[in-house]
Amino acid sequence: MRKFTLCLWLIIGFLATTKLAAQEKIRLSEAFDLIEDQSGYTVAYNENLLNVNKRVKPSTSDLSLEENLRNLLRGTGMQAQISGKIILIVPKKSGEEEIEQELSKAYNVLDEAIVVGYGKMQRKDISSAIGVYNMEGLEGRAFSGGEALLQGRIAGVNIQASSGSLSSRNRVSIRGIGSLTAGNEPLYVIDGIPLSNTISDAGGWDGEQINALTDINPDDIESIQVLKDAAAAAIYGSRATNGVIVITTKQGKKGAPKVTAEAGTSLSYIPNLNKLKIADADLYLQVQNEAIDNYNRQTGGNVAHIINPYPDREQFSWVDLVLRTAVSWKGSASISGGSDKNKYYISANAKHNQGVIIGSKAEKYGIRANFETKIKNWLSSGINFNANYSYTHHVPNGNMGTSMLTHALEHRPWDTPYKEDGSYNVKDIDLLHYNLMQALNEQKAYNKNYRATGRGFIQIRFMDGLTLKSSAGGDFMYAEDYVYYGSKHMYGNSVGKLTDARKVYTSIVVDNLLNYKKEFANGLHLDAMLGHSFQQDASSVATQVGQGFPSDDFVVNSVAAEYINMKTSISKWSIQSFMSRINLNYRNRYLVTASARTDGSSKFTARNRYGFFPSISLGWNVSNETFWNNSGVNMKIRASAGMTGNQGGIGAYAWQPLANGGYNYIGENGIGLTTQGNEDLRWEKASQYNLGVDLSFYDGKLTATTDIYRKDTKDLLYNKPISATSGFTNQICNIGAMRNDGLEITLGSNLSTGDFRWQGNFNISFVKNQLTELIDDDGILASGSYHALKVGEEVGSFYMIKMIGIYQSDEEVPAKQYAQGVRAGDVIYEDVNKDGDIDTVNDSQFVGSANPIFTGGLSSMFTWKGFDLSFLLSFSYGNKLYQTWTGGLRLGNGLWPSQESEALARWTGPGTSYSVPRAIYGITWNSTKFINTRYLHDASYLRCRNVSLGYSLPKHIVKRIGMESLRVFVQADNLFLISPYRFIDPEVNSTLDATKMGLDNMWLPQSRTFSTGVKIKF
Amino acid sequence: MLVMLSASCGKHLNQYPSDGIPAEKITQDHAQMLTTGMYNIVQYKPTFNGWALFDLIGGDLIRTGATNVNTPKLMVEGAIDPNKSIVTSPWNGYFAGLYQINITLEYIEKLPDISEKNTMLGTCHFFRGLYYYHLVTRWRNLPIIRSSKGGELETQRSEAEVWEFVAEEFNKAITLLPEFTDKNYVSQEAAKGLLARTYLAMGRKEEAAALAESLILDSKFSLCEFSDIFRGSHNTEEIFTFANLLQEGRVNFSSYYYTKESGVGGGYNFCPSAEVMNMYQEYDKRKDISIGYQGSNPVLNKYCSGDAGRDPIHIVRLAEMYLISAECKGLQNGIDRLNELRLFRGLDRLNPSNEEEFIDAILNERRLELLGEGFRWFDLVRCGKYESTVGVEEKYTILPIPARELSLNNNLRQHPLWQAKMP
Repeated sequence: MRKFTLCLWLIIGFLATTKLAAQEKIRLSEAFDLIEDQSGYTVAYNENLLNVNKRVKPSTSDLSLEENLRNLLRGTGMQAQISGKIILIVPKKSGEEEIEQELSKAYNVLDEAIVVGYGKMQRKDISSAIGVYNMEGLEGRAFSGGEALLQGRIAGVNIQASSGSLSSRNRVSIRGIGSLTAGNEPLYVIDGIPLSNTISDAGGWDGEQINALTDINPDDIESIQVLKDAAAAAIYGSRATNGVIVITTKQGKKGAPKVTAEAGTSLSYIPNLNKLKIADADLYLQVQNEAIDNYNRQTGGNVAHIINPYPDREQFSWVDLVLRTAVSWKGSASISGGSDKNKYYISANAKHNQGVIIGSKAEKYGIRANFETKIKNWLSSGINFNANYSYTHHVPNGNMGTSMLTHALEHRPWDTPYKEDGSYNVKDIDLLHYNLMQALNEQKAYNKNYRATGRGFIQIRFMDGLTLKSSAGGDFMYAEDYVYYGSKHMYGNSVGKLTDARKVYTSIVVDNLLNYKKEFANGLHLDAMLGHSFQQDASSVATQVGQGFPSDDFVVNSVAAEYINMKTSISKWSIQSFMSRINLNYRNRYLVTASARTDGSSKFTARNRYGFFPSISLGWNVSNETFWNNSGVNMKIRASAGMTGNQGGIGAYAWQPLANGGYNYIGENGIGLTTQGNEDLRWEKASQYNLGVDLSFYDGKLTATTDIYRKDTKDLLYNKPISATSGFTNQICNIGAMRNDGLEITLGSNLSTGDFRWQGNFNISFVKNQLTELIDDDGILASGSYHALKVGEEVGSFYMIKMIGIYQSDEEVPAKQYAQGVRAGDVIYEDVNKDGDIDTVNDSQFVGSANPIFTGGLSSMFTWKGFDLSFLLSFSYGNKLYQTWTGGLRLGNGLWPSQESEALARWTGPGTSYSVPRAIYGITWNSTKFINTRYLHDASYLRCRNVSLGYSLPKHIVKRIGMESLRVFVQADNLFLISPYRFIDPEVNSTLDATKMGLDNMWLPQSRTFSTGVKIKF
Repeated sequence: MLVMLSASCGKHLNQYPSDGIPAEKITQDHAQMLTTGMYNIVQYKPTFNGWALFDLIGGDLIRTGATNVNTPKLMVEGAIDPNKSIVTSPWNGYFAGLYQINITLEYIEKLPDISEKNTMLGTCHFFRGLYYYHLVTRWRNLPIIRSSKGGELETQRSEAEVWEFVAEEFNKAITLLPEFTDKNYVSQEAAKGLLARTYLAMGRKEEAAALAESLILDSKFSLCEFSDIFRGSHNTEEIFTFANLLQEGRVNFSSYYYTKESGVGGGYNFCPSAEVMNMYQEYDKRKDISIGYQGSNPVLNKYCSGDAGRDPIHIVRLAEMYLISAECKGLQNGIDRLNELRLFRGLDRLNPSNEEEFIDAILNERRLELLGEGFRWFDLVRCGKYESTVGVEEKYTILPIPARELSLNNNLRQHPLWQAKMP
């Protein structure tokens, strides 16, 4: 245990010998290098104590820490003082007051370095709201990647998966809904490069898009910072409204080369499939024929009963047919190290993930090289480089007509994939829906994605404190979508059809940053930055669709009999920015940070092109005041205000009215004025105010952070629905304003007693969203079919007809409804305007929202001797989900099979049901006539995202085999889910659009994964 | 340094697309391209639902597959709703196309007198007439939008006014357009055919009959076999047909009407009702081209390109003129035109004993002749026979204005038949 604890100690050396007097002059913060040892813990040391630090390392000594230190300092005239996480090394003659003073300095210097926009700051200097996730203890999270790493980890960061498909995209919201347009993703900045493209697709696949962020190797990540409030994010100006996620990758440390290698394997499957159980043939026929009887009785019709054409056939499960237990594996290795002048980190990783749908797989390979060198005392340079290749084998998913799980539930109990002669049963002839085996076997569809991101920099120190850092970087992607449907495939047009799409995406970023630091004699510390940044993104897409192939062996478009679509497109946008920041710290008590950024974007007309985004934040380290006498308790109060902007989610040429080509007729070129534009288009701007308190007790053993904020967003960019009689159905415009009010609480613990250590984190975040203004419209603006915008309501509010019960007798049915065939057993909808009839214009109402009232997470990591056990729970409360998939719930309206639970609960006579209607043939009233609350459900949940148990072999054993450490682990992802939602998983989103979220179209739910792996270091 | 950076980067902030030009840069040279573009846009904007609506809700088709509704009544009641795409997508499409027509007209009106100017203007008026014919038959009271700007500010006009506008547009087209040369381009003759159709609906029977007769007597046109008209062969019956080529057209009729069983693949959403499958006499030469079977599935057989192709969109052909002429002239004078057509199609003469029987015979002949070409619903509606034939409420003789439009545009009022009345 001693050894382990030792790693945690922050060691500080402070030598006041004559020999080192010159050293003293170097500012403390420069004298200490902040590095990270292989365990992921921050260690700081004075360069002169490098050797000491090495010798203190646990692998070299079984002595106690105190003994070690005493040995080290023997003969130096120095002594060690241990206080909390700090070991202070001071001259033996130092008095108590002196020691106290030095200790206070040390605390400040060794404070955590936080990556902020265009730089780093010490935690103590920060007065804005930044969430930090160090990858400590992350060895367990073997099979997920990308932004999903942050699920449940940081207050105010809510991450919801689209589905359980491989590499599925996530809806990431930082402090609630940032903007209305579909582009309300946060800005991702990886090693200084803002990523503009987070999908891997080239545009040839109709199903779910591939999340490019899953290509990032989690083992390469040092830390993830979430810039939450405007003061933190404003330095990213126009792109920061939805928050900024800054990902920093690992850098080598001074010392001998260290090798880390990890490998693991996992099994995944879809849990709780019984929730989707489909009625068997008898029950199905009972419901369908009851529906027909009900119809015939009330209309005098004579629709014939349905009979089972295959009474002897056993019920066939399409769900079992297409699902499997998926096996995946991954491996990664890295080498890092460095000298006084050079530091390097190189790594490679490979992942082979199988999806739970048969045939689905994703292979990912990546390499990274980070290198830094100090050429001269005044000149340093470095490079970060990352290259990834991914191959995704597509299976039909998302909203495709062949989407696997959705349609596996829509076959009748006697429907099977193959005829006796082995040929396919097909839709409309033998089956109600597409034959999924035909869809899988007769297609070849994949995405290949090649991506390289890199940045090089050169840093020049002109004089003490004044540096210039110039960097140039880029993000280059080449993607290929290949979708071949054979002649037997339902989409193959009977002759074979190939969609071949290629996309090249390039993004170039050039930054020049001038930094000035100065420590004034009176205790004032100044840190100023002035910078310029330019980014240009360009994409070029080519799509060819050919059809008519001699056989399925000819697989390129050059053999196609005809080209049915040939499309190329080129688009480009650019943004230039000027930014500045000044950071003042007076005696570590009073902190002021002010920043300003001006952005010019090509997406707006010249007169609206530039936006100005200032911010200011103030901090007061109360515990550094002389009057503060609560030993071991630290308190900081923070306040900030700032502005951020948004230009995402709108097209590159959004403002321009255009005459577009391509409207050809019989081979002649035609043009059309089909883009309306909006010359008044301007930046969306958010003003955000934040008030926060950071508290820590017992020298950091317990911590608490609370933030309250208000975020007012105005000039919301939105593709506003307009009356079609104008010639257009939508126009991109600045539509109104909204407000997010929020409260975030994070509690942390880091306790140890003996060999036992507990690190815990609990975070909870409340957000209340409200639309505060809608231009020229005080009414209700529908957003798609399920939602609407209205001043005073939340964005993402559902707006629909409300179901209030089931008519138990014909007498209850109002005459107008009776005339439409409504009878006892049918759904009662709330008649808002009391006219006896139900219509969507007059009877729709707001019925809740897809936004949770609160979300959060609870995680803990326990360590005891070599064992570590961790878990992560995440929760969401108060969000609603609309099931757009109604296949199993139609009860006789159409031939759909029924969900067993729904069929059994149906109304069959007075008093038999108050929530599930009767079966009725042909009449859509109960099922598809209205979008109504029968399908709207509470989607609150508590999910155990991860449980992980690891064991690290004792040092003396691993040392014998030449290793530094060896850890084995087992873990379970998505171990359980507690939710009132009726289907498998409430965490599905068939759209990522804030105004239309919360729709479940029976996309694949999250799988449950068990994995095991090993990690070694030497 | 900042100034340098700013200047060099600033110019990159002007970005223009690669597939279009700013609208302000349109010149005289683009006039023909705008006109051509209008053909493409007018052809696809109404969507399948627009072109096929009168068949879908005319009582002749039923839904297939899992949504199976095997009575036309239920299909109509399920489909016609202010929120359903069968109503909303054509509404949006007609007005989007209308914008294109209006803006093209505005550009062309500004041109000096160039050789093709009249043809271009005539084309605009033809298309505007065609769209308003489709609009007025469906929604009756509509805003008359003659400008590309402010369409949403126009208030609804009476049904009669809109009909007058349709007639006015076709009359203008007749004076401006050149004579017929190619069935895929609009012509004087095509405008006359549509004006005849318009006058028939307006009750101006004499004028309708005169226009129809002028086309029947026109030596450029004659009745032709269905196997030529609907299987892409040369014929002299078609007066105007959108080419709807595979690479240009987006309306795919066949995918709605065929199964994927044969080389003619499709989604098979709609199929003829049992009544339709039995309505042709064996020796009716139209039968096999109008209906057929794929395996045991009945199919509408006029659009056979399959998923792999596109079928032309038939707008006006000569047979309709025979039927218009016959209907407008009445039993005594019109029966010959009806029987001429019947004999050509392989049927016997009819001898209706009174006007009522005659009208029924005309409607029946129109049904046989024009199945799947977008006529049935309005034929029944204009003759007051829709409710009794399909067995639905009166409100289904008109389409509701989409709910979305009503909430976005205060100048529009729902037709009283679709208004939820206060108790």
